[in-house]
Amino acid sequence: MAGIRVENIIKLFGKVRALNGVSLEVRDQEFVVLLGPSGCGKTTLLRIIAGLEHADTGRVFIGERDVTALPPRSRRIAMVFQNYAVFPHLTVFENIAFGLRMQKASPERVRAQVDRAATLMHIEGLLGRYPAQLSGGQRQRVAVARALAVEPEVLLMDEPLSNLDALLRLEMRAELKRLLAESRTTTLYVTHDQVEAMSLADRIAVMSTGNVVQYDVPMKIYQEPADTFVGGFIGSPPMNFLRLPVEGSQAKIQTLALDLPAAPQGREVLLGVRPEDLEAHPQPQPQSFPAEVLVVEPLGPHLLLTLAYEGQHLKVTVPPDFETRPGQTLWLRPQPGRLRWHDPGSGEALGHAR
Amino acid sequence: MNARLVYLTLAVLLALWVLVPIFLIATLAFSDRASVFAWPKGILPQQFSLETISFFFGVEGVGKAIRNSFLVAGLTLVLAVLLGAPAGYALARYRFAGADAYRVLILMTRAFPLAILAIPLAVRFINLGLYDTALGVALVHTALALPFAVLVTSSLFLGIPKELEEAAWTLGCTRVQAFLKVVLPLALPGLAATAIFAFVISWNEVFAATLLTLRERTLPAFLLTALNDSPLPFRFAGGFFLIVPALVFIFVIRRYLFTLWGIANR
Amino acid sequence: MRSERYIPYVLILPSVLFLLFLFAWPLVEALLLSVRGGDGRWTLEHFQRMASDLYFKDAVRYTVLLTVVMVPLQVVLALCMAMLLGGINRGRDLFLYVWTIPLGISDLAAGIAWLAIFTERGYLNSFLQAVGVIQEPRLWLSYETPAMLFLAVVAAEVWRATAIVFVILVAGLQLIPKEYGEAAEVFGATPWRRFWRVTLPLLMPSLQVALILRTILALEVFAVVVALGGRNLPVLAGEAYFWYNAYQSPGVAAAYSVLILGISVVATLVYLRLMRPKQEAAA
Repeated sequence: MAGIRVENIIKLFGKVRALNGVSLEVRDQEFVVLLGPSGCGKTTLLRIIAGLEHADTGRVFIGERDVTALPPRSRRIAMVFQNYAVFPHLTVFENIAFGLRMQKASPERVRAQVDRAATLMHIEGLLGRYPAQLSGGQRQRVAVARALAVEPEVLLMDEPLSNLDALLRLEMRAELKRLLAESRTTTLYVTHDQVEAMSLADRIAVMSTGNVVQYDVPMKIYQEPADTFVGGFIGSPPMNFLRLPVEGSQAKIQTLALDLPAAPQGREVLLGVRPEDLEAHPQPQPQSFPAEVLVVEPLGPHLLLTLAYEGQHLKVTVPPDFETRPGQTLWLRPQPGRLRWHDPGSGEALGHAR
Repeated sequence: MNARLVYLTLAVLLALWVLVPIFLIATLAFSDRASVFAWPKGILPQQFSLETISFFFGVEGVGKAIRNSFLVAGLTLVLAVLLGAPAGYALARYRFAGADAYRVLILMTRAFPLAILAIPLAVRFINLGLYDTALGVALVHTALALPFAVLVTSSLFLGIPKELEEAAWTLGCTRVQAFLKVVLPLALPGLAATAIFAFVISWNEVFAATLLTLRERTLPAFLLTALNDSPLPFRFAGGFFLIVPALVFIFVIRRYLFTLWGIANR
Repeated sequence: MRSERYIPYVLILPSVLFLLFLFAWPLVEALLLSVRGGDGRWTLEHFQRMASDLYFKDAVRYTVLLTVVMVPLQVVLALCMAMLLGGINRGRDLFLYVWTIPLGISDLAAGIAWLAIFTERGYLNSFLQAVGVIQEPRLWLSYETPAMLFLAVVAAEVWRATAIVFVILVAGLQLIPKEYGEAAEVFGATPWRRFWRVTLPLLMPSLQVALILRTILALEVFAVVVALGGRNLPVLAGEAYFWYNAYQSPGVAAAYSVLILGISVVATLVYLRLMRPKQEAAA
């Protein structure tokens, strides 16, 4: 077991900066998720750590070893690929045994390790089959078992669940979580699915255009996004951002005045508030502001409302039995303590040290 | 329903159009001398006889020509795969400056009647000691087969996900080991088809083979130069013998025909 | 790991060297050979000898004529076969195999196969006798019957080489997503219109490739002609062969090969320039 440390990684593809001086540390036995939209550089970073790509500058450490110049085979890692990359010409057994065979492990050890990994992944009955005879979910299990069988210092996973259908993904997600909690293998996991990231991670590193924008525990990322990008990317529906005028150290929503944690630069400020942190009422309430209902979407566990406040759109979730219709005016009461304030220019959270 | 019957009839007619000449020449090849010269001929063979075929194999030089043909085609096969597959792999796996220029070079060779180049080569081969050798002919045939080999193997390797190789690297393989353990087993059927294809190209080529040989004729070259002063049974038996291996090869690689021709022509 | 950059170059190098030696160099050599005399001086003598030869005009005429007749026939027939294949469900694979058999057959073998039909005591004469058209065998492949000899060459070449075009077109058809045709069908296009408006335009790249390939190969037509009629139907590649082999004159042979190269390059450029190869086929 070992941690991972990358320092100041810069990667250029032609003139495009895929990674813009990224530094990141994954502690021993930690499960870290690299989260971001496609093209943010998360897979490139993972591949650089695996040794499949080479950074233009920067260093990669696994444990205390500087592996920057080492080929993938010498890094003591294992990787699970998005398309599983299960060898089609080998049986499930030989697939799982592949890494051990390369280490020239004894037949007994190969047998034992393959059995252990296969049992962990519940595929002990499939060892004699070829990948063509397996379902997508089973192949995925083989890919994970193959990675675990070599007992890597570090496990790298590149969107391992994205090729599975929704139901299977849910099942595998829980199973992966159980499995990796047991094995305590240091894991770096790439995904663009924020729910997956929230569910699995000890810590999430949110990436955008070649930078890590926020690196923290999931709930912190959700509740205190470092900037409007993180707030908008995480959560479904995303965080609302309302542009409000500033008076002194307060922001104004009509008659409602909200205290700001720090004095903003300009004369406006962005209020970041999650849809579930706005309480909707049909009648005027103290500490609230009016907004007009545009769309009502019943989603089962709750209703999703789209409202307009002074030309700005807001998403709010309300209980399923809440009665409302388009055109109605509702009074929204922000939950104190759940409000985030952002600079309208940079999008960064006020009082948040980057 | 009627349309389907029309389709089927047309398809059968086209199949007959292909098969009848082969059937006729096979009939002649397995007739006796008298039937070959008989007139008028019936469509069906009169009597089965090995006279014509054995006459053909008895002609001096035929055995040697067949041996030469196999030798040349075998050399072509090996050279085309050895030269073409690495290039195909490079085109499939690497993005490198000059890749497009290389592709153009490969495609350009297709836009030239390559066999014609045997004329200047014949002159040069005499000086190099390659004239009238199997290797000399095989070199020209390799030039014919190489563009196919490059383009076909390139599409072949493209069809093998790069992740399989990368997975092998992360599991402890060097590049060479990963190629041998993962890529090669998966590419083998396609490589075999490519090789057979190169073999057929060489087996069938006559212009360059004729110009570049004198005594060490390949079978087509031998047949061509003997055409005018050889009796009909000899020609028919030779023609038939020329067709047979081709039929077998096409049957063996039929699954890859569309990859070979389809991809190679993009 | 910078060192990985050179890997692709190492991999393509052998084939590049090979093609330089057996493609680029002989190309230059052919040009030089055709414009140099025995004493090494520049001369047009070979081209003059070529042009003043008795067979030259016929060779040019027949080669061009053969190309212009054979190539469109092959393409149209292959197109019909490819479309026909789409209408067949049962036995599709069998027809596919049988129709592509000629792919493996050499031009020489094709010529000999059709010789069995067109020769004096061949199947054609036997058939004509059986239906009462003729009493005695007729000669079809002599220099006195150039039209019939021409026809025999066309038949043999169409028989042999249509399969190549067919395979290219079928491979091209497989690349066309079904949705296009289905969309056209939804909008009420008849099968005929779907073919002309959807399938054919999308098939243009494959058609272009097939036309270029077939044209170049038709311009070097040789063994079929020799097998069927010896030198009774002179063609360019045949003349190159005779000048080299029988007359021992590499210079004139090279002049012929340069002529073939020239026509091929021009034909290719014409195909590439005209974005509508369909008109080419009809021209």
